[in-house]
Amino acid sequence: MAGVEWVAPSTEDEALRYFSSDPPSAVVPIAGGTDLLLDLEAGRVGPRRLVSLSRLPWRELEWAPNALRIGSTRPLADIQADPRVRQAVPGLIEAILAVGGPALRHRATLGGNLARAAPASDVIPLLLAVGASVELVGADGHRTVPVDQFVRASRETALRPGELIRRIVLPVPRPSAYRWHRVRPVNDISHVAVGGSFDPGTSEWTVAIGGVPPRPQVERDRTLGARPSDAAIETFARAVAERVPLRGDLRASEGYRRRVVAILVARTIRAVAMADQIGSDRGSAA
Amino acid sequence: MTSGARVSLVVNGRRREVADVPFGERLLDTLRWRLSLKGTKEGCRAGNCGACTVLVDGRPMLSCLLLTHEANGASVTTIEGVEALSVGRAVVRAFEAEGGLQCGYCTPGFVMALVGHLASPGADRSPAAVRAALEGNLCRCTGYASIVRAAQRAAKEVA
Ligand SMILES: Cc1cc2nc3c(=O)[nH]c(=O)nc-3n(C[C@H](O)[C@H](O)[C@H](O)COP(=O)(O)OP(=O)(O)OC[C@H]3O[C@@H](n4cnc5c(N)ncnc54)[C@H](O)[C@@H]3O)c2cc1C
Ligand code: FES
Ligand code: FES
Repeated sequence: MAGVEWVAPSTEDEALRYFSSDPPSAVVPIAGGTDLLLDLEAGRVGPRRLVSLSRLPWRELEWAPNALRIGSTRPLADIQADPRVRQAVPGLIEAILAVGGPALRHRATLGGNLARAAPASDVIPLLLAVGASVELVGADGHRTVPVDQFVRASRETALRPGELIRRIVLPVPRPSAYRWHRVRPVNDISHVAVGGSFDPGTSEWTVAIGGVPPRPQVERDRTLGARPSDAAIETFARAVAERVPLRGDLRASEGYRRRVVAILVARTIRAVAMADQIGSDRGSAA
Repeated sequence: MTSGARVSLVVNGRRREVADVPFGERLLDTLRWRLSLKGTKEGCRAGNCGACTVLVDGRPMLSCLLLTHEANGASVTTIEGVEALSVGRAVVRAFEAEGGLQCGYCTPGFVMALVGHLASPGADRSPAAVRAALEGNLCRCTGYASIVRAAQRAAKEVA
């Protein structure tokens, strides 16, 4: 990356101008840089100019009546530490805690994780499960895209040349959970992971299975209800594990992965249902 | 098009103006090779080991994954400056008392990660939280038990 130039615009307009004035591959945005610096060093990208997003006023955490809006460059550690987020979308905190170690999370951003669209991303399954969307900004203005349409395949997103992720919008409240399986808890990727959430408005369960290239798979159910029985959870989890498209590789065989998917789907749903976020029998559990 | 520029940092309490820092340079290299602060270690250069952990405006960060220019204007604390902080002194004492190191290569990273956690406002000093603060750091020698003991001791001392 010798000779690369770096600029740090402080307004959105200024940032967007850098992307409209150069050919796309020559200008690359850098947020936390935790993925990008490795890509640069390995020669996977070779831009002439890095446009840092770190000086932009894009780190907000805003509450609207039924939505939580998170600025794309807010470090994961600053989301993780927020008690209101924990209460409104507990699964997001669990997913963020699965990303690397604390020092990494002080730098890594939610926008960077989404833009990278790694099949092993720990936040994408959760964002899919809660039905989050991303607001994008480019020369043609703003547009909002559901995460389900934003993430297309491994490292493939709906971002157009010169477009940036401005913020992530999550519907709240969303009882939710994230469960993963790895060989080592840190410094390893999730071989299989499940984000799950229950929408109290529609009584719909959504689970997203991560770690299955080319991108996480979404499954929904409206028969389980707010208080699913153990038997119903098991049946649903096994059905999901049977139909989710996945392959074996050097790390784990297909059969093993399907078994783990079934276990994690069941655990995720139980975690959501039993966290007492649904219904109101908090008192009787004590 | 230029490929470098001046960076202004406050390193361990002292203002440092560093001229002609290439835009692609990482803070780890600026600290070690331009400022001769060799206490910050390079282990993996890829975010995996935590040996390069320093504090940037009080937050633990991996200096191998941080462009120096991104830290422009920030206050950086390295292992060389840790004993100017009361939490830093408590952590160093605890590592000594518990024998929390063998070869010592990983130690600056563990110390900075722990200081970053314990010195943050409203830090959770429960044993589980203190242990979790060290999750991003690897040690090839100790087997971790003495490091975890040192961390728990430090957490009690600063409480
Ligand atoms: C040691 C290590 C362990 C890791 N462990 C995990 C893990 O367990 N789980 C996990 O999910 N991830 C993990 N990661 C991956 C990484 O840390 C995350 O993906 C992180 O959230 C990326 O955010 P960033 O801000 O650092 O992105 P950057 O590196 O700054 O950017 C990543 C990509 O997105 C683009 N980009 C960044 N921001 C925007 C934006 N706002 N709009 C458009 N494009 C943008 C960049 O151009 C680049 O291509 C790990 C990384 C390392 C180094
Ligand atoms: S050298 Fe930075 S994490 Fe290993
Ligand atoms: S003491 Fe040698 S690596 Fe930790």
